[in-house]
Amino acid sequence: MSEGLNYKFLIDTFFVALSGVPVALLVTIVSLLIAIPLAFSLALTRIYRVPFIQRLTQLYVSFVRGTPIIIQIFIVYSSVPLLLTALFKKYHINVDVYNIHPIWYAFIVFSFSTTAVLIEVFRSALSTVSKGQLEAAHSVGLTTFQAYRRIIIPQALVVALPNICTATINLIKATSLGYAMSLQEITLKAKVAANVGYNYVEAYLDIFIVYLILCSVVEYGFKLYEKHLRKYKLANA
Amino acid sequence: MLNIKNVHKSFGNNEILKGVDLSIDKGDVVVILGPSGSGKTTLLRCLNFLEKADQGHATFGEIDVDLHDAKKKDIHAIRQKIAFVFQNYNLFNNKTVLENVIEGLVIGRKVPKKEAIEIGKKALSKVGLSEKYNAYPSELSGGQQQRVGIARAVALNPNIILFDEPTSALDPELVGEVLTVMKNIANEGTTMLVVTHEMSFAKDVANRVIFMDGGVVIEEGSPHEIFVKPKEERTKKFLKRVLPEDYTFYI
Repeated sequence: MSEGLNYKFLIDTFFVALSGVPVALLVTIVSLLIAIPLAFSLALTRIYRVPFIQRLTQLYVSFVRGTPIIIQIFIVYSSVPLLLTALFKKYHINVDVYNIHPIWYAFIVFSFSTTAVLIEVFRSALSTVSKGQLEAAHSVGLTTFQAYRRIIIPQALVVALPNICTATINLIKATSLGYAMSLQEITLKAKVAANVGYNYVEAYLDIFIVYLILCSVVEYGFKLYEKHLRKYKLANA
Repeated sequence: MLNIKNVHKSFGNNEILKGVDLSIDKGDVVVILGPSGSGKTTLLRCLNFLEKADQGHATFGEIDVDLHDAKKKDIHAIRQKIAFVFQNYNLFNNKTVLENVIEGLVIGRKVPKKEAIEIGKKALSKVGLSEKYNAYPSELSGGQQQRVGIARAVALNPNIILFDEPTSALDPELVGEVLTVMKNIANEGTTMLVVTHEMSFAKDVANRVIFMDGGVVIEEGSPHEIFVKPKEERTKKFLKRVLPEDYTFYI
């Protein structure tokens, strides 16, 4: 360390870390694609007070929110293979569970935790749209589905977007915990590179910068989209 | 054209409607008067299934439904014939004025968009808002918003328009413009059922006035019958409160 930072390693490892971005993004996008519709449906069960399911949803939200993601990862990563082995044995399916790619576990964990976050985001956003909007839509002959799609969701989305942005960025950052499941994402790749010559400071700096760039780009994208959606509100903003 | 029988509705233990009958003919302009809490608004909302009545029956042209357990199909069919103007306007905030007016035509009634725009523009010119097609509701005054609300109802060419206290949320100086628009569409022969506190509208425009109190119809008749020679004690009391000067005149 006496000779200061190894700049060549710093730059080389930056690209190594960068090569982990597709995996991180894939996990993020797949988790969002699963979580958004699921969270939206569950948020509706809370709003319409569907008996039983809404209690279950509540329980689920407090369960997931009350535990660190790293523990959820450990639980899923250690218990799902056991469950699958038992299941496969019972039905004589010849699959080696220890060869399942860790990205599948990542999909499970991160969609579960994101769903819990988004349920509350959607619930609060939908409750900001006044009941009169749905009534007016019904009164002009729209079905409830059409009313949600054309009137209520577009208005709720504007309210929800900053929180969805936060959730997405938290998710991107949380994928760094994927290294605990040996998922080949940004953090793991850079750390492995650092192991060779003990250049941890450089590697961590690279990881730092890659996440910073990634999250800034995503945030900027959300800002642009929000501006586009808000146009109907500009008049009184 | 519209007949309703024995409508009951409670919220919890609070019985709001205690068996209301009502019949409206084509071209009628019926005003419902009554103190607040008498069930006027609830009655209107039950007619359009915004509120589910506990009991009651409606005949609307050839459609015959139970207000308590109407089928989805019948609810949809009735809503195609009834338009509603809300106290708080309830314009679609994410849509422009013109989009607000054509939404029900294009999506609810499957009218081709081009045709709907024609109808929408005509409706907006009727309410004097031809300059505001592309404005969003948040850019309009309350009076303008309510006129869009009326245009949205008129554009649907319904058999009847229900008005739920259309001027109650407005600043006093904006009430006139909305009442003028309502008067104009009434003069065109539109069938209207209006809940309002605007006595002048009831006197000048209605051909029938219904006085409700405590969840039942107390008295109904022509404006002259209700305002000049009310029969029921409760009607007299109510009118004395809302029209103190007129009342002394008739003593």
